[in-house]
Amino acid sequence: MPLDLYTHEKPELNMTSADSSLIQLNDVELTLSSDAGPVEILRGIDLTVGQGETVGIVGPSGSGKTSLLMILAGLERATKGSVRVADITFDGKSEDELAKVRGNTIGIVFQDFHLIPNMTALENVALPLELSGGDDPFNRAEEALTEVGLGHRITHYPGQLSGGEQQRVALARALAPRPALILADEPTGNLDGETGEKIMDLMFGIHDRNGTTLVLVTHEMRLADKCGRRISIADGKIVADDTSIVAAAD
Amino acid sequence: MTNLSLAWRLSQREMRGGIKGFRVFLACLALGVGAIAAVGWSSSAIIGGLRADAKQLLGGDVELRLVHRPTSAEEYAYLDQTSDAISKAVGMRAMAVSTVGTKERTLIQLKAVDNMYPLAGELKMTPTARVQDALAMRDGHAGALVDPNLLEKLEVEIGDLVRVGKAQFRIAGTIDKEPDRVTNMVNFGPRLMIATDALEATGLIQPGSLIRHYYRLTLPAGTDTKAWREDLTTAFPDAGWRIRGTDEAAPGVQRFIDRLTLFMSFVGYTVLLVGGVGITRAVTAYLESKTRTIAALKCLGADSQLIVSIYLLQLLCLAGIGIVVGIVGGIALPAALLGTFADTLPVRPEIALYPSAIIAAAAFGVVIAITAALWPIGRARQVSPRDLFRAAAQPLAQRPPLFFLVWIGVGIAILAALVFFTATDPRFAFWFILGALATFGLLRLTGAALIAVSRRLKPSNALLRLVLANVYRPGSAAPGVILSLGLGLSVLVAVIQIEGNVSQQISERLPNEAPAYFFIDIQPHQVEEFDRIVNTTPGVSGLIREPVVRGRIVEINGVAADPKNVPPENQWALRGDRAFSSTAAMKPNTELVAGEWWPSDYAGPPLISFDSKLADGFGVGVGDSLTINVLGREIKAEIASLRDIDWGSLRFDFAVVLSPGVLEGAPHTHIAAANATPDAEKVLERAVTDAFDNVSAVQVREALQAAAKLLEGISGAIRSVAGVTVIAGAIVLAGALAAGQRRRTFDAVVFKVLGATRRRIAAMFILEYGVLGLITGLAAVGVGTLASWGVITFLMRMDWVWLPIDAGMTVVLALAATIGFGLAGSWRILGMKTAPYLRND
Repeated sequence: MPLDLYTHEKPELNMTSADSSLIQLNDVELTLSSDAGPVEILRGIDLTVGQGETVGIVGPSGSGKTSLLMILAGLERATKGSVRVADITFDGKSEDELAKVRGNTIGIVFQDFHLIPNMTALENVALPLELSGGDDPFNRAEEALTEVGLGHRITHYPGQLSGGEQQRVALARALAPRPALILADEPTGNLDGETGEKIMDLMFGIHDRNGTTLVLVTHEMRLADKCGRRISIADGKIVADDTSIVAAAD
Repeated sequence: MTNLSLAWRLSQREMRGGIKGFRVFLACLALGVGAIAAVGWSSSAIIGGLRADAKQLLGGDVELRLVHRPTSAEEYAYLDQTSDAISKAVGMRAMAVSTVGTKERTLIQLKAVDNMYPLAGELKMTPTARVQDALAMRDGHAGALVDPNLLEKLEVEIGDLVRVGKAQFRIAGTIDKEPDRVTNMVNFGPRLMIATDALEATGLIQPGSLIRHYYRLTLPAGTDTKAWREDLTTAFPDAGWRIRGTDEAAPGVQRFIDRLTLFMSFVGYTVLLVGGVGITRAVTAYLESKTRTIAALKCLGADSQLIVSIYLLQLLCLAGIGIVVGIVGGIALPAALLGTFADTLPVRPEIALYPSAIIAAAAFGVVIAITAALWPIGRARQVSPRDLFRAAAQPLAQRPPLFFLVWIGVGIAILAALVFFTATDPRFAFWFILGALATFGLLRLTGAALIAVSRRLKPSNALLRLVLANVYRPGSAAPGVILSLGLGLSVLVAVIQIEGNVSQQISERLPNEAPAYFFIDIQPHQVEEFDRIVNTTPGVSGLIREPVVRGRIVEINGVAADPKNVPPENQWALRGDRAFSSTAAMKPNTELVAGEWWPSDYAGPPLISFDSKLADGFGVGVGDSLTINVLGREIKAEIASLRDIDWGSLRFDFAVVLSPGVLEGAPHTHIAAANATPDAEKVLERAVTDAFDNVSAVQVREALQAAAKLLEGISGAIRSVAGVTVIAGAIVLAGALAAGQRRRTFDAVVFKVLGATRRRIAAMFILEYGVLGLITGLAAVGVGTLASWGVITFLMRMDWVWLPIDAGMTVVLALAATIGFGLAGSWRILGMKTAPYLRND
């Protein structure tokens, strides 16, 4: 399906069966107040993502794709509509409750890595496990680091790692709790082409091995093309929802 | 508990960044805690020394003092039976006259001692000898030991003769240390010591003369001193003696130490408060650099409580370091100073640990650290994980949640309670707490007003516009600078204005208003001749003469008078004996504020005209009664009138004046005051003291000069101590200005790109710092002046004058500090290259 950024009609949604859907957004709106008046960021988003899917969210700057990611992560509250992730309804939950949901269920990878500078790679990766009270956090963290090829750098601090290595640590941190969902916001935005490619291979490798649902926001088409499904957002609305990309590539 | 252990682990990881960003935090906390520790420890050490040397200072286990009369045979026998040893001494003021040269004379503190003296300790003299040998008769003259400065005053040497009363004494040596004499703060006459056997020959023992008889006793081992005193009072209920045990060995010194501790404590509390402002700013700056980390933690599942725990634990660990450094420094420095100057102090300090002082300082440190840190931690708690998705780091929330505000209030209440319970005078503590809160409020108001005014002003000058914009922009250093430096400078201004007012009173006003001389111990049969001599001496005027007896107020409205039951400023009237007078006619310029003066021919029951301020303190008025004890006789008198007396003017007056007929039968003397031109002073003194061996002349000018000299010495120390608050303020100021360095660097880069010269940028910095310094200085002058007016007017009850030069110096100091510190930090920016900053952007 060609990408149509200018239609205001809701495209036909790709529905998976209800009992295997990990993400369900129903008529989600997000309006933020500013000195210049209310700003509509998301306008009536309906989205269902099944377990094990890989979803790329694309759109121009200011289209609302990062805000959509924040809604999915429980970092932003929808002004209207309902948000349900991994059988947990976000509506009515306090900020601290949402934090706990994130620790157990959702891994997030940022463009700027956001590792804690005073913690080693091992400690950074173990952190979500410690926060959720998981067993044996440091052994599991070491496994995750090994999985991303950094088993030999566990005692290094972020300042001692390259950009690509820091992003791999961030990926291991997102992966270590074995979350049902990994959200990534421009994960290769601060990396050079070759390094970014390696990071993406790792991410999709993890998906292939563990069946982790992957939702990533990107403006790089080649990254979006790797996903099984591409959702285009423009002006706060989903304007295209294409599952045929990979099939076409195949 | 699991969460606490996790918070602990995470806080330890955060500490790996080192303490580099906490230098201001640690310095502020250490300074504040150190100041409190230093004051508490020093006071404990000196009081410890008082207790350790109590027996020596008192001269025995117990000291009895009688005024005007020695013990009766029966009384002495009782003392002899119930003690192991008794030493008798007699003390009075007298005149010593040189027998050589120009026959100089001076007022002395005469002390006659017996063969048992000293019962405790050792009298050190030059040349070294036994006391009794030095004072013994030789070649027809008894010996005398003198203070070294007496030799200078009388222009005599060891071996020369001096006349005291009718007798001449050979100066046998100088006193290096008198074990039962605490060094007088103000010297109204050097010591001259003779043997009691030689006192009679002086002819100074006359009825009514102000003579104090001391009896020092060593009690048998195991004697319960309190029970012994009670038995003595029961055996001789009307003796009228003052009894002191070793717990009251040097009450004057104890009171002085208490007052000094009170003042120094307030300075210490102020340093702590200024430090608290610095702590808040330092923690704010630190947490602002941690917003990304906090956001990341929240993204990963950390809740707000964990965030608070992590950073509170971290700050508590650092606070522990600051507190330990503060306590160690706060004890080590005074210990070294007191140890070095121990011999010059009135009491040898006892160097020990004094846990109560340490615990108090630590408690203050913990509470101020937590209270000051809660505001920024509360703000940081609200950092949103959304911030990670934003390009620039977001500022902390404007204010913390209500829960934190409540706990900050609790912290402030605990601090106030600590001040209240550790201060030696709870009333002063109450006013200090109020004053501190008011000062905080006024300075914050000043900061807010400056920002509001800066926002409204729209000057046409671009440079001025930019400067004012820097003052009111978010994150401006203005509120912090005004509060921190303003606090310290306010204390300094208050101290300087108070000290300046007192100094002016002593050195300028009093010499113009006070009499030139007081003459004491004038016998009744001498008054006529005395009046004639004074009135016929050229240059002398304004003679006032009144009869006087010494006695004590023993009851107030029939209830035993206890100094503890009256306000501190009135306790002097109940401590020991006081001078009472009796007169028929009311003196001119008497200000009656209640009741009526008795008729000049009054012959009824005893009446009193009383000091109105003492009446307020005692809670009595016209119609109430006081019972006084004069020479063992108790006299109950009704208060007939109240007088407003200005003691600060040194005008001739008495707190208690009795109606005629009450004291006529009692042995009494007369006391007189006279004015004299400077040329006439010496002439008058010689004329009176040549005519009357027993009359002592107190030269007021000399006494005021001695007081002024003492004040000069103390004021230097007081200003230095107050200066510590300014140092604390300067540290916080430096931290506040440093926190804005990044913004200033950014500004300077952009200005340079847009064409501004370095000179222009420097002018902008100087103007911005100058505005801050000027407003801070003016605010400090306002607050400090108000405080000094309150203390001088209501506490010291003196007329207050504003000292503009001192106030102006404070404003200059504030300007110098802000511009100096500001430029020191910004100088580097002016010379840097802009390209590296643009490439990083």
